[in-house]
Amino acid sequence: MLRRILAACALVLLVALHFDYNMARFPFLEREAFHRHFTRMPDGQWEQYPRFLDGVRAHTKPGDRIAIVVPSMTWDGVYSYAYYRASYFLTGREVIPLLYRTDAPIASNLERADYLAVWQSRGPEATVVWQGEGGVLLRRR
Amino acid sequence: MIAALIAALTMTVVGVPVTVATDRSARGPLLLGLAFLYGSAATCAALLLLSVLHITWTSVSAMAALMLIAIAAWLARGLTQEPPPATGHQPRPHLLDSITLILIIGYAAYITVASLWEWDFWAIWGLKARVFLERGSIDWTWLENRWNDFAHPDYPLLVPLNYAFVGLLNGGWSDRWLGVLFVAWAAALLLVVRALTADEAPNWASSAATAAVATVAMSSHAGMAEAALIAYAGSALLFLRRAVRDDRALDWRHGALLLGLAANSKNEGIALLAATAIGIAVTAPRRLVRLWPAGALVAPWMLLRAAHTLPTDIASGSILGRFADRVANADQVFAVLGLALVDPWSWLVIVLTFFIVPKGLRRERFVVAVTAVQLVFYVATYFATPHDLQWHVMTSWSRLTRQVQLPITVTCVLLLAQLLVRGEDAGCPGRSGAPDRSPS
Repeated sequence: MLRRILAACALVLLVALHFDYNMARFPFLEREAFHRHFTRMPDGQWEQYPRFLDGVRAHTKPGDRIAIVVPSMTWDGVYSYAYYRASYFLTGREVIPLLYRTDAPIASNLERADYLAVWQSRGPEATVVWQGEGGVLLRRR
Repeated sequence: MIAALIAALTMTVVGVPVTVATDRSARGPLLLGLAFLYGSAATCAALLLLSVLHITWTSVSAMAALMLIAIAAWLARGLTQEPPPATGHQPRPHLLDSITLILIIGYAAYITVASLWEWDFWAIWGLKARVFLERGSIDWTWLENRWNDFAHPDYPLLVPLNYAFVGLLNGGWSDRWLGVLFVAWAAALLLVVRALTADEAPNWASSAATAAVATVAMSSHAGMAEAALIAYAGSALLFLRRAVRDDRALDWRHGALLLGLAANSKNEGIALLAATAIGIAVTAPRRLVRLWPAGALVAPWMLLRAAHTLPTDIASGSILGRFADRVANADQVFAVLGLALVDPWSWLVIVLTFFIVPKGLRRERFVVAVTAVQLVFYVATYFATPHDLQWHVMTSWSRLTRQVQLPITVTCVLLLAQLLVRGEDAGCPGRSGAPDRSPS
């Protein structure tokens, strides 16, 4: 009898412990606020950056080689995000990292780039193709 | 949203003949659940085939390939010898099903609230889909590019190719409504759970088992391949659990096929294939060969991956050196694992179940063995990881433990229900000893 009582308790617990109350009440929460929250989540404080990348995409064509310059050229937490995010928004183009997994600059990659997408930073002297959303797209050749 | 819905519907429609060709006895929830799972896999196969044949992906070429698969499956349905069906008990609606229904509605609202947002979506799964969609094919040059190794080129492609299919129907890339596929994977798995458990347990217990794993089936990692992996792995192990017990050809067939599809979803699915082989070797060694469809399904990707020498980050550098270093500090590894464990109370109840029903440990040794071996694989990976240990554990351990939680939870609910209804010594329910149906 005791084992049956324990079994009943364990069974109820298995169902109850897996019941996600937040999930159950999600349809009744303010959808618009959550939409904004999750839309902003990938970019945190860099809200303008994806819009800048959209602009870069609009002003380049498939096959173009684009190097990314952002305020802090350190890999962990900054450049890695900027480079991965640019790879997602600029598919079809070749996004070239100016550093990779370490903070050491890769000069040969800078040489290969057709364009520099410079966001919230100062870029070198070059032809401005487009500017907006906190950045500038420079043509190198 | 329309494109995502049409894609999910197309997958289900294509999956019906594939399911019928595999199992002519499938009906009701089982047919519907398996139809989506096999249809999603057929979509992956269609785009992979077009890519290998150098036929550019368009909505027309993708649909034509899917229709060919559906027609071939329909024509093949009479070729397989039909094994006897299971007990054929269909689940009936139960009050406890409302828990599952409420959670599915909540999940649908959650996972479609915005564009898929996880880092691994836009840096891995969604990124590949978008690259391939624009190329109109799998872009091997992109995968081989050393600057793209952050996207884990070695990861299997079932999920990215499903995303790409939605993009083809949409006329271009959009990540806004891809969450619809997540709802479909979760719902398909829960339909399979409900159907399989109803075949061996009272209706209320089947309903309770489904409700207990509803949240597990609904991956909150928006955009990652977890949802597909959990769906394929969970349904595979539940079929194989029954296969080990009853030795029905149909269960072996579904189990092996779904296991192969799990291996096409994530690298953890490939590990699960090995863990399952060990589980079968321990519990039904003569039946090990029955897993051959799983190997056949994962072989194309393994060959393509080897042919293109796509790197695996875990295998980089000196694995043995890292392993030896971490073994010397094993206490630190386990301390981090303890900190990062989610659902500790659920795991505690799972362990306690085998104290309450001690004979269940032997009866369910297949599921217990596979779960344990898979967890050992995961922990061993942490000992060999080239990444920072704390970061790697904190960003993955909760997902990995969720991946293996579904079959063992279903098993525990069934064991507990059986003790409640019939007493532990009543023997194993199944085709030859299905329990009496108590009124719901």
